[in-house]
Amino acid sequence: MLLDVRDVSVRFGGIVALDGLTFSINQGDICGLIGPNGAGKTTMFNVVSRIYDPFKGNISFDGQNLLDVPAHRIAELGIARTFQNLALFPTMTLVENVMVGAHCQGSVGFLRAMTRIGARKENHLIAEKSRDLLRELGLDKLAHHPASGLPFGTLKRLEIARALAASPRFLLLDEPAAGLTHSEVDELADTIVSLREKFNLTILLVEHHMAMVMRISDQVVAMEFGRKIAEGTPKQVQNDENVIRAYLGGDV
Amino acid sequence: MLKIKEGSVVHWAVRVACVLAIAIFIVYIPTHSETARIGQFASAFTLIIAAMSLNLVLGYTGQISIGHSAFFGIGGYTAAILIRDHGWSPGYTFYAAAIIAFIVGCLIAMPVLRIRGAYLALVTLAVAVLFPTLLRWKKLEWLTSGAKGIDSVKYDKLPVWPFLGELKGRDGRAVFAYWLGLLVLVIAFLICRGLIKSRVGRSLIAIRDNETAAAVMGVNVTRTKVLIFGISASLCALAGVLSTLSTGVVTPDGQYVTLLGSIIFLLIMVVGGAGTLSGPIIGGLVYVWLDNTTRGIGTDSRGVVGFIFGWTNQSPATLILGLALIVIMLFAPTGLVGLFRKLSRRIVTIEPQGQ
Ligand SMILES: Nc1ncnc2c1ncn2[C@@H]1O[C@H](COP(=O)(O)OP(=O)(O)OP(=O)(O)O)[C@@H](O)[C@H]1O
Ligand SMILES: [Mg+2]
Repeated sequence: MLLDVRDVSVRFGGIVALDGLTFSINQGDICGLIGPNGAGKTTMFNVVSRIYDPFKGNISFDGQNLLDVPAHRIAELGIARTFQNLALFPTMTLVENVMVGAHCQGSVGFLRAMTRIGARKENHLIAEKSRDLLRELGLDKLAHHPASGLPFGTLKRLEIARALAASPRFLLLDEPAAGLTHSEVDELADTIVSLREKFNLTILLVEHHMAMVMRISDQVVAMEFGRKIAEGTPKQVQNDENVIRAYLGGDV
Repeated sequence: MLKIKEGSVVHWAVRVACVLAIAIFIVYIPTHSETARIGQFASAFTLIIAAMSLNLVLGYTGQISIGHSAFFGIGGYTAAILIRDHGWSPGYTFYAAAIIAFIVGCLIAMPVLRIRGAYLALVTLAVAVLFPTLLRWKKLEWLTSGAKGIDSVKYDKLPVWPFLGELKGRDGRAVFAYWLGLLVLVIAFLICRGLIKSRVGRSLIAIRDNETAAAVMGVNVTRTKVLIFGISASLCALAGVLSTLSTGVVTPDGQYVTLLGSIIFLLIMVVGGAGTLSGPIIGGLVYVWLDNTTRGIGTDSRGVVGFIFGWTNQSPATLILGLALIVIMLFAPTGLVGLFRKLSRRIVTIEPQGQ
């Protein structure tokens, strides 16, 4: 068990965004997290990133209590993520964005930067790694383009490259297929599966494209109103009556 | 359109040519100009350092500070007091000023920067306004000499630097201030450049662009903001030391020690190009040039110009630059450097390595 979420609850004023959520993910799995809009999926991501504090519950990652770890140490533990609505650095180029993703891999601090001791070498290493990752996601042609004014789908892939730059063990993807065409969605699904093999990843995938989630997930967790309503293999969850009801009888 | 590959022979040739041209210019000024002109450049160097220091905090990290005049003042007063009361040799006062300003900067930033939003702007505004009052405070008069300031920061003999020969009198002081200012400017520039072109610099820009994402990437946002504020304060104090050493005077109403100073640093940085390494340099030179060409415009001019500026017997450079700022913000949001880049890109492009 890599990630273990126990009874986690998050409140925003009167709104209960997560209500005693419990689930776990095994090492190496792709876990799909589904649910209607406002179910609390992104909130779950933000709790794992330590952006939000739950008022109840526990999260452990590889045996360590995540709630003891400040936000800026999460990357170091091997947890990386993308954002539903993009959280890129718009004044930087694509390759620079990915280089920031490798922040936790670097070691040059203020003193070494001011005196340039080892800074050049580190820049070279990280730039090279970042360009490799851009190539991996088919963005190498745009390496020196600013990360603004590009299509949404392209920027979403940039976020994946940036997340991978941290050399994570656990990757959280928040709606990576949003805004893609049908064939692009298939392509992305293949990319995600191959990235898992190549980088030995465990993946938590939030996605509204059901076909994609069902195709590549080993395990699916369904949520509604901050609670888990079903859990199991894609087939089990697809046929779960709670899930069907939550989606208003839509084709799940 | 011309294309040059980064790191190619042509690229290096262009670089070397630029550096040579600048070097010739730098040596030409103090050897071929009148004392007043040399002094103007010396004061430009001082302002450039102050604007550079502000650039680290505001231009790169996106944290507004209107309190840098106080750090300039801390530097100026540290030098004056140590030289007058404790007989320090001027050179060592740089270190003392840098350390004191670093500590004060961090202490101001630490409680404030934990909270997001405009608090830093407000707190630093208060610092800028209170600083001159503090200098005039009766209970501190033993240290700061109150309202009249310290005006006896003189050396009997200017230090002898190997390639300059012996410097004497007013002319000698200007030449000395020029070279000392240049030396400190180069060091400050290299420090800023080193910071920016490193993992630290990337994390500063990341904080400016998206604080949450920066934290998720592993940047310790609070610590980074506090340290860069301290370093910035420290560099600004170096400018203050330079000012004291070249003019020999510090007073609580010296223009760079009051709120006006903060605004001048801000204008220089933004007009030159916030978030660029060369922006403060261009901005500082433009400001000092404007300051000197428009001095006396109110009292000496006739006609329309005289009518417009008749109210002032000082240089309206700050006002003009303020107005220019509005125009620049409309047409070139990245300042003069951004404008220059945009224009030069039509003629020459540098292709980055590894494409
Ligand atoms: N920062 C916040 N402040 C207040 N309420 C919030 C905040 N973030 C989320 N919420 C609320 O919490 C609930 C869950 O939101 P969340 O974004 O986690 O849903 P989601 O499952 O990601 O939905 P979607 O599929 O639309 O992305 C919603 O009712 C939302 O309005
Ligand atoms: Mg969401």
